[in-house]
Amino acid sequence: MPAYHSVFNNDTSVRQVGNIGLLPINTKIRGPAPLAADPSQPDIIEESLDLFRANCLFRNFEIKGPADRLMIYLILFISECLTKLAPTPGKPSPGYQEALKLLQTQAVDTFALPGDAGFPLNSLYHPPANRIDADALRSYLTQTRSELAIRLVDRLYPYEQVLGPDGQPTGQVGGRANKPSKWWMSFQKRRFMGRSLSA
Amino acid sequence: MILLESHSVIINDVLTDRFEKASRADIQFVDYDNVRFHLSTPESKTKLLLSMGIQCWPDLVKYGAREHLQKEYEGYLLPQEQTEPEYDVSLVVDLEQLPEGGEARSALISKLAHLKSTAMSSPFLSAFAEESSLQANYRDAGGAQQKDIAEQSETKGELKIVRYREEEAIYIQASNDRVTVVFSTVFKEETDKVFGRVFLQEFVDARKLNALQNAPQVRYSNREPPLEIRHLPGLHNGEDWGYVTFVLSPRHFANPSQAQQTINRIQLFRDYLHYHIKCSKAYMHSRMRYRVAEFLKILNRAKPEVAAEKKTASGRTFRTR
Amino acid sequence: MSRQAPLVIDNGTGYTKMGFAGNSEPSFVFPTVIATHQSASAGSSNTSGGSGARASPPIAGKPSHLASKRGIEDLDFFIGDEAVANSKTYSLHYPIRHGQIENWDHMERFWEQCIFKYLRAEPEDHYVLLTEPPLNPPENRENTAEIMFESFNVQGLYIAVQAVLALAASWTSSKVNERTLTGVVIDSGDGVTHTIPVAEGYVIGSSIKHIPIAGRDITYFVQQLLRDRGESAQIPPEDQLRVAEKIKEDYTYVCQDIVKEFKKYDADPYRYFARFAGEHSVTGRKYDLDVGYERFLAPEIFFNPEIYSSDFLTPLPEVVDTVIQTSPIDVRRGLYKNIVLSGGSTMFKDFGKRLQRDVKAIVDGRIAGSEERSGSHMKSSGVEVNVISHKRQRYAVWYGGSLMASTPEFYNVSHSRVDYEEYGPSLVRRFSVFGSAV
Repeated sequence: MPAYHSVFNNDTSVRQVGNIGLLPINTKIRGPAPLAADPSQPDIIEESLDLFRANCLFRNFEIKGPADRLMIYLILFISECLTKLAPTPGKPSPGYQEALKLLQTQAVDTFALPGDAGFPLNSLYHPPANRIDADALRSYLTQTRSELAIRLVDRLYPYEQVLGPDGQPTGQVGGRANKPSKWWMSFQKRRFMGRSLSA
Repeated sequence: MILLESHSVIINDVLTDRFEKASRADIQFVDYDNVRFHLSTPESKTKLLLSMGIQCWPDLVKYGAREHLQKEYEGYLLPQEQTEPEYDVSLVVDLEQLPEGGEARSALISKLAHLKSTAMSSPFLSAFAEESSLQANYRDAGGAQQKDIAEQSETKGELKIVRYREEEAIYIQASNDRVTVVFSTVFKEETDKVFGRVFLQEFVDARKLNALQNAPQVRYSNREPPLEIRHLPGLHNGEDWGYVTFVLSPRHFANPSQAQQTINRIQLFRDYLHYHIKCSKAYMHSRMRYRVAEFLKILNRAKPEVAAEKKTASGRTFRTR
Repeated sequence: MSRQAPLVIDNGTGYTKMGFAGNSEPSFVFPTVIATHQSASAGSSNTSGGSGARASPPIAGKPSHLASKRGIEDLDFFIGDEAVANSKTYSLHYPIRHGQIENWDHMERFWEQCIFKYLRAEPEDHYVLLTEPPLNPPENRENTAEIMFESFNVQGLYIAVQAVLALAASWTSSKVNERTLTGVVIDSGDGVTHTIPVAEGYVIGSSIKHIPIAGRDITYFVQQLLRDRGESAQIPPEDQLRVAEKIKEDYTYVCQDIVKEFKKYDADPYRYFARFAGEHSVTGRKYDLDVGYERFLAPEIFFNPEIYSSDFLTPLPEVVDTVIQTSPIDVRRGLYKNIVLSGGSTMFKDFGKRLQRDVKAIVDGRIAGSEERSGSHMKSSGVEVNVISHKRQRYAVWYGGSLMASTPEFYNVSHSRVDYEEYGPSLVRRFSVFGSAV
């Protein structure tokens, strides 16, 4: 079975800028993103997080629709976040609060849009048609990135199970882990399609 | 590997494994000289039944094999009636009642792996015993007049015949100062005959070396059976047949461990001989292959030089030489 | 005196399996390696692989062992596990490469010890069944027969194709109700995986496909995943491959879908994540490793090769389908119905189920496509796809040999020494297939 595609690819009601689909997301952050129709259904951000670990093992990916392009972008962003949180010699991995701050800063930081010089996948993405679209895309992406950062950190630092004296979980939930989950960090080195957002 | 090993590797491996962890088994395997083994767990996982079928069992029984096995494998040997059908002797090992300690266990495994050689050694052991009694008698009678000896004591023991293969047999005879073992051996292939003759002649000649003075004396006769057994009916005469005689002197079986070693080696003599004949054939083959390869190299140089133009799949062309 | 049991010897590139006909398991399984005193490059004109303990320069011309042989140096060698144990003082050689015998000197000596030391059989008293890979040149068969008949004087010889024996072994599965020698054999060992279609006992040589993914690659992938996660910091470097292999053998399985599997792990970590207790081979220090996603990712490379490396991209189910589609059209249904697994690397849990599902998906997709193109006028009756797993898969080829050699027909179809002496080595260029009637 090849790499996984987004289920939203066939959704035609989605507004497109360039050829990225601006899909609805569940978020409390303000921005131009349309509100998700059904908050209990997984949105594109949830999907990207779910498919991240599977997809980043693949080097070849066939784009089947505009939602796929958004998903690729989000996956590459997740990769970048993990790189940011990776321990470097002399500086161990940050804890939960610090990671949250780091990634939120990262999310709103300036980044390249399709059509700009630093964007890695220019061959597959159309640049926005005009200035207004470009701005809309930028604010949409900023909002999506922030929401993704929050959810990512939530997954990276799960609540730890309290272990009883026999080493088995007692069912109680303790505080957050203070290091990012190694199960996620191991995928930091795997580049989806061999690309990364920061050149 | 120069000497053939005297124990069965399969018994060794399987028992070592099962002693550690009991599980089912049903393995049939063989050993040299038409010996069949069957290792199984008929009733429960923890009781191993090891059965052996030897072609020459009737001969061995005549010379006390059953008693000898009873003595060696006390507690494991099953009585005659309970022996597995189609086999000659059976042993039962209860995995829940193994001796404690790694050493005791490996000693037991080694003993069980020597089942075949233990069974085959009974005629030899009885011959050794005969020899010592004959020697004792002889010495006793030594004080008496020489003339009386001939009628008083026998100087030769019983001639034991063990037909361990279809056409070949071992003849063992004890006398008052030695034990003589005669092997009759047949070579079915032409090349084997030649190799065999050369080998066996070497056996005779090798004793001249100083280092081997203590070895048993060996005699080899090509067609005719040696004097000791000439009177037996049904002996073969002919180009294919060879008779090898070993003369074992008392120092070769002075103490029990020495005796067992001698027996282990000598009972596999025929297999050892044929093994080395086959190995030398293999060696000849490797020399032949090497020579052929060398000749081919020379012949290849004799090819005329052709500036051939060849193409590879991707379209590049190149010339050879 | 009834005949002695035939010897069944299966020499593979990685491991040799040998034993006696009639048994359900080989008595000996050890690597096909011989340790001699020659250096790696000298010795014979053929290439002998393997690393030498001493890096001596290649000697052109006379190898030392042949020219100045005075004693019995040619008997000073070890095979199998003993060879590996002595690898520091002897040099290792691997006489079989890609299934075929490359160094006949070494192979002859290897067989010498196999027969005399391990099996303890006098070859003059036995028939022998050997195996060969498909597309083995007839000259190799002749060489083998020469060695067997002239050096060892065996009573009779039969050289069987490994794929056909694997099919025979599959008859023990409960799924099989008729015994047939038609099917696709997926033989996956340590080095390479073969997909071999067999029709009525004869291999369809032109349709054979090789996949460069096998046990060793899975082990490397596990090692890679461990390294990415930082677990391998605890494992001493010389043990890493062995630990990866153990994890592969004990903990891995084939999942139905990777994403669902990831979700399962997130939901119920205590059930899926495992702990591997390791021990340093030299110091004895104990350490613990977490085993996680590699449990299902490692065997996944059969079905998604690109997650491991970009060299080879075709998944196994697609290769199987291609193999069958390139076979003659009248045997295709029979081939789909009987896909047989053999070899150690097919032993992953649920491997058969996943393969069957994927091949069926490809086949159904193709049928649906053609129905659509015909405007739904032509409806197919469906193609049955069956993947056969059975308990004897690991040594399926040996087991098949043991089955075949324990039938009375075996003695009729083997070539006896008498025939060999009459007709010569060219006799063994052909062996009849038997067993469908059994």
